[in-house]
Amino acid sequence: MKITICIGSSCHLKGSRQIVEELQRLVKENQLEDKVELAGQFCMGNCQNGVCVTLDGDTFSLTPETTRAFFEKDVLPRL
Amino acid sequence: MNDLWIETGWLSLNHVGETLCGDKVEVFGGGDEDLTLVLADGLGSGVKANILSTLTSKILCTMISGGIPLEDCVATIASTLPVCSVRQVAYSTFTILQIKNNETAHIIQFDNPATIVLRKGEVFNYPRTTRVIAGKTIWESVFPIEVDDLFIAMSDGAEWAGVGMTMNFGWTRDSIADYVMANYLPENSAKSTASLVIDECDRLYGGRPGDDTTIAVARVRNRHTVNLIVGPPENREDDEKVMNLFFGKNGTKIVCGGTTSNVVSRYLHQPIIAELSYPDPEVPPISRIKGVDLTTEGVITLAKVLKYAEDFNDQAKLAHIWITQKDGASLIARELFENATDVNFYVGRAINPAHQNPNLPINFAIKQQIVTNLAECLEKMGKHIRLSYF
Repeated sequence: MKITICIGSSCHLKGSRQIVEELQRLVKENQLEDKVELAGQFCMGNCQNGVCVTLDGDTFSLTPETTRAFFEKDVLPRL
Repeated sequence: MNDLWIETGWLSLNHVGETLCGDKVEVFGGGDEDLTLVLADGLGSGVKANILSTLTSKILCTMISGGIPLEDCVATIASTLPVCSVRQVAYSTFTILQIKNNETAHIIQFDNPATIVLRKGEVFNYPRTTRVIAGKTIWESVFPIEVDDLFIAMSDGAEWAGVGMTMNFGWTRDSIADYVMANYLPENSAKSTASLVIDECDRLYGGRPGDDTTIAVARVRNRHTVNLIVGPPENREDDEKVMNLFFGKNGTKIVCGGTTSNVVSRYLHQPIIAELSYPDPEVPPISRIKGVDLTTEGVITLAKVLKYAEDFNDQAKLAHIWITQKDGASLIARELFENATDVNFYVGRAINPAHQNPNLPINFAIKQQIVTNLAECLEKMGKHIRLSYF
């Protein structure tokens, strides 16, 4: 599974670094390094709804606060 | 003429408690033109010293670069400098460094510590003759230059750094030479070498310099062009044309901005591989595109580069960050401030529709302003700048 996080200008200012770090931490905590790949991508063209994150082709809008819920609700069940 | 380039950089510390520096550096030319650099140290400190050194450096720099014989220059200074009412003398020491035709160095020194010359990173003991002009004993040296030659001129405040505090006899010229040699890297800019030495002087003085201290550095180097593209062209049809132009140039290629990276990626048929590491939490991660030397985010990264550039032209307090860090802004700063002699900016005028929203946290219209200001800073550093808009 590949999770792609937008690291473009706008999403960066809305907290993509915190989201990247939170996801890196959650992946490690759940020992999913072999199953989940994290990647960055420049602007996905959806800045109004940032931070943009895609998971198997589906787009999500995250904030640092909602990242854990996203991981539990959308990432874990798909594995 | 050859392909050499003369780069200069200097920094001063003021005598503790003084707002004016009694040392003064004046530079004329440089780059691919003849260089005249004068470092003058006025007697005493504060206003008087500042007036003496300003007059001396300005007069010498103007007259010497105008080709007037040294005797006349010295005579002019002797009859111009105001006489100190306390000490009944008019006095300023000076070092003149001239580099002509990118071939010959001519050093003229009066009472300043002898200029250190490093050749291939080792101390070079250049020949020296003396002559007496108007009662002053003046050292003269003429020798051919080589690429990577480094000239370090100083006022005596540098030699005396730490005297009676951290050291008994101050730092001495020889230990300064050893220090520069130990920290020598051929790619270090003139300004960062000056910054390296002046920071050490300040440290030895315990932050309270007992004398005005100045380090002026000239460095002989090869020319190097850096091309930086930011923003896609206003009209999509121009993408191919601008890409042809950008990738047709010699030198380092830097691509700034997400959309711009996408255009480049399509043109080169190479994927963008984004990194996810944040050496500087304020700066978005860099990416990699095969065929491009450096790919970064746009406006936030360049705003940080501009901050570093403004600081570098001032007191260079932030130089230690970008000289060592690996974030996008630091990497661009090193490439532009240290490696480049010529910088070509390719600025796209396209408006990113995704950014046209008042709820977004920054104003993206500032991009062009950042580039213009950055270009001005680089010009102040003595680089040749070309800005093209598309």
